[in-house]
Amino acid sequence: MKSLFRFFMLAFLLMPAMTLVSSAQDSTQTEVNKKNLSAASGKTKMLLTGAGWFGFAYDKDAKLNFNSYGFAPVFLWKISDKLFFESEIEAPQGEFELEFAKLNYAVNNYISIGAGRMLTPFGAYGEKWEPAFIERFPNNPIIPDEDFLPGGTHLNWGAIMGLDVRGRVPLGNSRLSYVLFVSNGPSLDNSNGLIDYENLDDNNANKQVGGRIGLLPFSNSCLEVGFSYEQGIAGNSEDSVYQINSEWKDYSKVGASAMAVDLNFVKSIPKIKSIISVKGQFGSYMVDDAYYSVPEGFTANNYAPGDSTLYTFNNTLQNYYAQFSFRPALLKNKCLKNVELLFRYNSLTEPKDAAWSEKDNNGAGGVVTRLDIGLCYWLNWRTGLRFAYEGTTHVNGEQSNELLARFVMGF
Amino acid sequence: MKKITSLSITIIFSIGILLFINGCAATEKVTAKSGAQIWGENCLRCHNAPDPVDYSDAQWETVGMHMKQRVNNLTEAEINKVVEFLQSAN
Repeated sequence: MKSLFRFFMLAFLLMPAMTLVSSAQDSTQTEVNKKNLSAASGKTKMLLTGAGWFGFAYDKDAKLNFNSYGFAPVFLWKISDKLFFESEIEAPQGEFELEFAKLNYAVNNYISIGAGRMLTPFGAYGEKWEPAFIERFPNNPIIPDEDFLPGGTHLNWGAIMGLDVRGRVPLGNSRLSYVLFVSNGPSLDNSNGLIDYENLDDNNANKQVGGRIGLLPFSNSCLEVGFSYEQGIAGNSEDSVYQINSEWKDYSKVGASAMAVDLNFVKSIPKIKSIISVKGQFGSYMVDDAYYSVPEGFTANNYAPGDSTLYTFNNTLQNYYAQFSFRPALLKNKCLKNVELLFRYNSLTEPKDAAWSEKDNNGAGGVVTRLDIGLCYWLNWRTGLRFAYEGTTHVNGEQSNELLARFVMGF
Repeated sequence: MKKITSLSITIIFSIGILLFINGCAATEKVTAKSGAQIWGENCLRCHNAPDPVDYSDAQWETVGMHMKQRVNNLTEAEINKVVEFLQSAN
C-alpha cells in the first residue's frame, strides 16, 4: 500500500516535468514541421488578394436598382527576388475578364521590365486609383468609355498588350519615376472615327510608344505630378479606301496620340487632425484627320469636296476630373475617424462635329459635366461603405441625378 | 543637314540628361528614412495604410514586389525597408 502511495506521489511530482518535456517536444516538432513546410513550399510565394463589391442606384425614373456587383481576385506570385507575376480577373456585373497578366523582372534597384497584358501606364487613374477598394466613390470619374461612347470603346482604359520599362531616379530630396512602353496601339473604327486603345490583337504593323513621367518634388512624397504621352498608327493595314478630289486615300496612315496630366496631393495635417487628398487627371485624345461615311439622318458641318456621303471632323476628345477628400483620421472618436467626405467634378468634351457625340437641341456638340458628392465609411483599411450623389448635366441641358451606394470588401 | 542637326541636339540633350541624373543621388534625409516612415508617407498616397497583421511575412514580400510595380517611385531598398517594418510589426 505504501509503495503504491509512493508511486502515485512520484507520478504526481513528475507530471509537471513530463508536461514540460512533452511541451518542449511539441514545440520542437512544430519548428521541424514549419521548416519542412517552408522547404516544401520552395521559394515561390503566392498571394490571393483583391476585392468584391455590391451596390445599388436610385433615381426618380428607375427607382431602386440593385445594379452593381463584382469580384476582382488578384493573383500575385513572387517567383524569385527578381521575378514576379501579377494577374487580375475582374468580374464586374458577373462577366469574367482577364484584366491583366504581367511578368516583371527587376533588373536592379532602379529599373524593372515587364511584359504581357498590363493596365495602361497612361495617366494615374487606370493603373493606380481604379481598384474598387481604392476608389472612394461608388462610381468612377467620367471617363471616355462605353457609358458615353458607342460600341464599347475604351480610350486609354483597361489593358494593353506590350512591354514596359519602369523605374525611379533619386534627385536629392525629390524623385522621379518613369514608365516607357510599347504596345499594339489603338485601333480605328473606320465607320465613325472612334478609336479603341484596348487593342489586344495588333491591327497593323505599327506599334504604339508612350510613357509616363512622375515627379515627386518633396522628400515626404506628398505631391506627385505625372505627364503621359503616347503615339501610334490606329488605322487598319487593310482598311477600305475612299476618294477625295480624285485622289485615293485609305485609313492605314491615320494616327492617334494622347497626352495626360495627373496630380496627387495627400497630406496628413495634425493641426486639423485630418488627412486631405487632392487628385485629378486631364486627358486629351487626338486622331488624325480622315473622312468617314455620313450616317443616315445626320447633317455634317464638313462634307468631303464634291461628295456628300463622306464627312470629316476635328477628332479630339478631352476629359478631366478633380477630386477632393477629407478624413479626420487623427481624431480619437472611433466613428468620426473612419468617415471620409468626398467631392469630385468631372468634365467630358467629345468631338463636337462627330456624328456620335452628344448634341444640344440645335445639333451642336458641347460638354458633359458631372458633380459627385460622396461619403465613405471605412470599416478597415480596405473595406468600406460608399455613398454618393451623382448629378450629370448633358450637352442638351438635361440633368440626370442618381443616388449611389456600394459596399466594397477588400481581401 | 537638318537631320544631322536634330540628331546632334538629341544626343547632346540625352547626354546632358544622363549626366544630370547620374550626378543626382538621394540625400541622407531620404536614405535615412525608416521603413515605418516610408510606409506612412507612401501607402496613403493611393489607399489607407495597411494593417501589418493582415498578411504573413512571406505574403508581405509578395505585396512588396507588387507595390514596387504600382507605386513605381520607391527603390528596391526602400520597398525592402517597408516590408521589413511590416514583417516586424505583424
